Amino acid sequence: MSLLSILDRDRTIARPGFSRWLIPPAALCVHLCIGQAYAFSVFNLPMTRLIGITQSGSGDWELTDLGWIFSLGIFVLGASAALLGRWVEEGGPRRAMFTAALCWSGGFVIAATGVYLHNIWVIYFGYGIVGGFGLGIGYISPVSTLIKWFPDRPGMATGMAIMGFGGGAFIAAPLSVWLMRQFTTPTHIGVAETFLVMGAIYFCFMMVGAAIVRVPAPGWMPAGYAPTAQPKRLITTQNVYVYDALKTPQFWLIWWILCLNVTAGIGVLGQASAMSQEMFPGRVTAVAASGFVGLMSLFNMGGRFFWASMSDVLGRRNTYFIFFALGTLLYAAVPYTGMIGSVPLFVIAYGIIFSMYGGGFATVPAYLKDMFGTRYVGAIHGLLLTAWSMAGIFGPVLVNYIRAYNVAHGIAKAEAYNITMYVMAVLLVIGFICNVLVTAVNQKHHMKLREAEASA
Amino acid sequence: MSGDVQERGDGNGVKLALAWGFVGIPLAWGVVQTVANALKLFQ
Repeated sequence: MSLLSILDRDRTIARPGFSRWLIPPAALCVHLCIGQAYAFSVFNLPMTRLIGITQSGSGDWELTDLGWIFSLGIFVLGASAALLGRWVEEGGPRRAMFTAALCWSGGFVIAATGVYLHNIWVIYFGYGIVGGFGLGIGYISPVSTLIKWFPDRPGMATGMAIMGFGGGAFIAAPLSVWLMRQFTTPTHIGVAETFLVMGAIYFCFMMVGAAIVRVPAPGWMPAGYAPTAQPKRLITTQNVYVYDALKTPQFWLIWWILCLNVTAGIGVLGQASAMSQEMFPGRVTAVAASGFVGLMSLFNMGGRFFWASMSDVLGRRNTYFIFFALGTLLYAAVPYTGMIGSVPLFVIAYGIIFSMYGGGFATVPAYLKDMFGTRYVGAIHGLLLTAWSMAGIFGPVLVNYIRAYNVAHGIAKAEAYNITMYVMAVLLVIGFICNVLVTAVNQKHHMKLREAEASA
Repeated sequence: MSGDVQERGDGNGVKLALAWGFVGIPLAWGVVQTVANALKLFQ
């Protein structure tokens, strides 16, 4: 009992002399680990050969069965972040990071058991559900802490952490491949062992983050920073209670803003390899397409830090205006790059699009902080992540369906994506309109006013 | 509590270098691997 008390929020209050610049690496310890989810696909092909070894044998899993592992994990990420956001907020970041480490590494151990037993349901439960809880809790665990430590640069601070989620796949993909190589023999594919080792590594790494993290002492402000007495129109100095935020149009407008931005990006992210090859047949090979996907992941990660940091200067609403306006133009221009056969223009257009896709994720916590204050921003962010779950389903379905419809109606593969691009551009126009409609939250939702009314 | 007091501290430099190195080195390694792979696009 006393051992667990070191996880309490009260035990994590920073002492004098603590540097706030230790908080971003603490957050990155968690986000770099849970970002592995984006690299889960490296296990897909080896897991279709666990029985047949050299090729899929009788009883081996199909790719369609394995695809559900990632989808379930992302769905549970959104659901658990929404359900447990308040618990994370009130319990403090160390308890949340510790729980996330247990769930995430525990998910790997259970999934390893599933591979050993060759039971897909055990993997769904382990990686998809238990690991999914680790994803959700881990994703939101450092958000409000970072915002409280960096009231002068909230976008940059959360951008750094969420950049880690994008960057986690860069570490996990080559590490997974290397580990599988070590454990694979002519009669055995080393997936289960790789899961066990990765679970152990991730647990240790995330625990370092939990050990480092601190919350600022009450009333702490960074040196030289003075909050403006006259609040800006779209940056509140008040707080909105987590479930009261759901009653505001602002929450739902930002929900749609995130959902539409993610739908547009995630839809083409999964198809980037095939799209580049089919739009430039004979010019972009399978190997080059894999390089293209890697390059887009770099833009996705870099955009998280760049755009979130820029939002501290430009303002959150203006940053989303850029995402939606520039995104619309670029999506509409992609078919033209295919028409003139310009691979460099295609790559540049997609690079910017994916930087804004990542930027949308990374800027949204600061947008919520501007609207609803810092008190429950982590919990409100958790609720907002349901937009991600929704987009994760609709985006790929939309792209796949439109492409299949076009090909079935005799349109050449090289041109089959054009309609998709125009549809994505329309989605971004709707997002732009939602962003226009965002105004300051009505004072009746502010906590202080509510409390005053209750005590009157 | 003032920010001056809380942000200053002996030994913070070492802690910061260790903490940032702990996350920065693996991330840099992963980025280098990805860039090397991405260069195939331009070969």
